Amino acid sequence: MAAGNPILQIDNITLAFGGVTALNGISFDVAEGEICAVIGPNGAGKSSMLNVINGVYVPQEGRVVFKGQDCTRMRPRQIAQLGMARTFQNIGLFQGMTVLENILTGRCMKIRSTWLEQGLNIGRARREEVENRRAVEEVIEFLHLQGIRKTPVGKLPYGLQKRVELARALVAEPTMLLQDEPMTGMNLEEKKDMSCFALEINREYGTTIVLIEHDMSVVMDISDHVVVLDYGAKIGDGTPDEVKNNQDVIDAYLGVTH
Amino acid sequence: MIYRETGTFITSYLEDRKLFPIPFDKWAMAVFMLFMVFVVPFIASDYWLAAHLIPILAYGTAALGLNLLTGMTGQLSLGTAGFMCFGAFFTFNIMLRSPEWMNLPLAMMLAGSVTGVIGIIFGLPSIRIKGFYLLVSTLAAQYFALWFFRSYPYFLNYATATVTLPDHHFDFYGIGDVFGVDMASFEAKYLMSLGVVSALALFAKNLMRSATGRNFMAVRDMDIAASVIGIPVIRTKMLAFFVSCFYCGVGGALFCYAYLQVLGIRTFEMNRSFEILFMAIIGGLGSIAGSFYGTVLVYEFPILFSWAGDYLFGGAFDTAVVDNVAKITYGILIIALLIREPGGLAALWATAKQKLRTWPFPH
Repeated sequence: MAAGNPILQIDNITLAFGGVTALNGISFDVAEGEICAVIGPNGAGKSSMLNVINGVYVPQEGRVVFKGQDCTRMRPRQIAQLGMARTFQNIGLFQGMTVLENILTGRCMKIRSTWLEQGLNIGRARREEVENRRAVEEVIEFLHLQGIRKTPVGKLPYGLQKRVELARALVAEPTMLLQDEPMTGMNLEEKKDMSCFALEINREYGTTIVLIEHDMSVVMDISDHVVVLDYGAKIGDGTPDEVKNNQDVIDAYLGVTH
Repeated sequence: MIYRETGTFITSYLEDRKLFPIPFDKWAMAVFMLFMVFVVPFIASDYWLAAHLIPILAYGTAALGLNLLTGMTGQLSLGTAGFMCFGAFFTFNIMLRSPEWMNLPLAMMLAGSVTGVIGIIFGLPSIRIKGFYLLVSTLAAQYFALWFFRSYPYFLNYATATVTLPDHHFDFYGIGDVFGVDMASFEAKYLMSLGVVSALALFAKNLMRSATGRNFMAVRDMDIAASVIGIPVIRTKMLAFFVSCFYCGVGGALFCYAYLQVLGIRTFEMNRSFEILFMAIIGGLGSIAGSFYGTVLVYEFPILFSWAGDYLFGGAFDTAVVDNVAKITYGILIIALLIREPGGLAALWATAKQKLRTWPFPH
């Protein structure tokens, strides 16, 4: 998808945990409608970067601007309301609930009825349940989850859990989707599926995607824009081809004698 | 084949959300409720109503309240009896100090709401602390309640230890006189309790199958993920405390009004909290029906065991010994149950239903 104006601006972010600097003066832009991959060796600060973007961590310095609004100090929920959804590296599903219930939680921001209406099961509450169910079913169909609707998520294999998590993020109808290692631990087939889903989401809904991934062939194939982190600093930023030929990036990945 | 779901076709999302998707379940529940309302009051003796059915209903409400908080939302609480104490005392005071138009169910709802607000106050620490540390905070509620009502005898109408609850509190706009029923009789108290408990259980069930219930469970299972997808975690926890303490408060009111007939502080000591916690755990954390299964088991088993012990060995051994052995046996049984099925009776029942569905051809 063609890249438009920047929808997300990361401006000079510095994040430290005590004496450890996880992110050091990082800046980059994500254009509207693109797929942006954040890559880097282990411990480079990729997941911290996502956590800063959606408000789980508050950086010591710098600004995060999403859709023209400074959301550096917003709570995760406020940022979610702006239209940002996310999946986790270690599966953030609610293990005690079924697939359907898990995905339905993704619609929580669309609920207008109060808990009293829901407890009495009247009017608005009933209507909303049906509307939300319809939206959820669309996503279930999109991600081919029909057969496991009523299964508790804890009983599902890893690859499917990742897909359920993606579904939960999608039903919120986000303008931006953050994916933390969506394909880790998957076999080739599942990786292909996940890549296709990412591309389809991007094309069909125009969702901007920021993803962290270790599989370079996937990254180079699907992303429009690659940001490379190493030891909390940005060492590369550009199209996949530019990054591939960047000497710093090659050094970071292959190691270099000093 | 005893229990089957074939022939039931779901054709709309609304149908898929029904409380009883299988017609057999629906009819069984309807028959059960009709039996409880129209048959039990006429066949059960006062002893059965007063010493078995009514306390089970009262305990069950409190256990359900605790289950909403601990089982559904994952916030541990040991303040159950404290919250029951608030509910009972406030109900009594509302009945005592209100004009004529007040009635007992309404007073219970009001007292429950006040208890809910108190619950929110004691639940505030849950914003920052979790698990066992939260237990300490809710424990404070338990002790605060006892201290508060001991310090301010006004709430007990300046009685020394207990107040006998007057019969006219049960009067419901003279409806008893119209039908010639004694509203303070055990039958009437039983029916009132049953009505209150059924309404509350249905409300809880509805809440749990809608957005609020999913928010509760999401906060229980993973609160970080919950906040990232946009669930207001703090508000959800506070709501859980409110609803839970509302139920506990009403449970406490039923406990005094319908079961004990007297109001006193000693009713709501610490061990009552434990008792209700056991009911919720044994019945199945996170299950509404389970709260009642657990209540029946925890309440009835000691009675059953000591009765059986008396019957079998009554002549041969000292009664106290038999009683203690019965308690030990009961404890071992509970442990065995929880090892075998950590989900409690509710999970056991779900497995049984699954088996019945395929019986007699399980493969």
